[in-house]
Amino acid sequence: MSERENKPNTSNWFMWFDVRHRDIGDWAFVLHRLTALGLVLYLGMHLIVLGTLTLGPDAFNSFIDLAHNPLFIFGELLVVAAALYHGLNGLRVGLTSFGVAIPYQKQLWYVVMAIAVIGSIIFAISMFTA
Amino acid sequence: MNNSISPPKSGQNTWLWLLKMVTGLLIVLVLSVHLIVNHYLPEGGLMRYEDVIAYFSNPLVVLMEIVFLVTVVPHALIGVRSIILDLNPSKGSTRLINWILALVGATAIIYGIWLALTVASLA
Repeated sequence: MSERENKPNTSNWFMWFDVRHRDIGDWAFVLHRLTALGLVLYLGMHLIVLGTLTLGPDAFNSFIDLAHNPLFIFGELLVVAAALYHGLNGLRVGLTSFGVAIPYQKQLWYVVMAIAVIGSIIFAISMFTA
Repeated sequence: MNNSISPPKSGQNTWLWLLKMVTGLLIVLVLSVHLIVNHYLPEGGLMRYEDVIAYFSNPLVVLMEIVFLVTVVPHALIGVRSIILDLNPSKGSTRLINWILALVGATAIIYGIWLALTVASLA
């Protein structure tokens, strides 16, 4: 597989954005990392926002009013989608890292993606019709 | 299997990897509990300040949220560390990064536990 020789050397950060010669496993990894970064940002914001609970009812409740904004709800949908993919793919990585189901890792990824997409659609419908 | 495409990363640690794996699995479980208890158990979910305060009057809830915090923060920061290690930092830079991440983690955990206990006391 001479494809492997063409893979970008990612010890330079700008090579992270080289989209050539990547197969589906690479994209699974990239998506895992992207969702990870999104979730880290969410975690930070979540912890800070919850701090308003110590500032009396008005502080937190006015944030909740903000959270009814459709743009905000869309952001929450992104978090749900990211968490679904990252968690499910994480389970898959955990399995293969311990030698389980390695010959099926590609099929498992399709299952992960399917559940993540379907779950996100279900959440989208429920979040925007609430 | 030797991947000669990129050189092996320095700073990689077996125990940190294992911790990332274990916390990852725990997060899947605790996060499910967290979401179900937050959104489906209370009537209409946790909507306003009063709902959250009442929710935190249950010590099991406080415990669950603290367990969640203590699993998510290390998992997130070890993960961030892995991404940074891909840039092949020097030994000195790696040690600095380790310290910064550990500090951020300790701060987040102490803050989170303080927050959980404070909100619980407001009930």
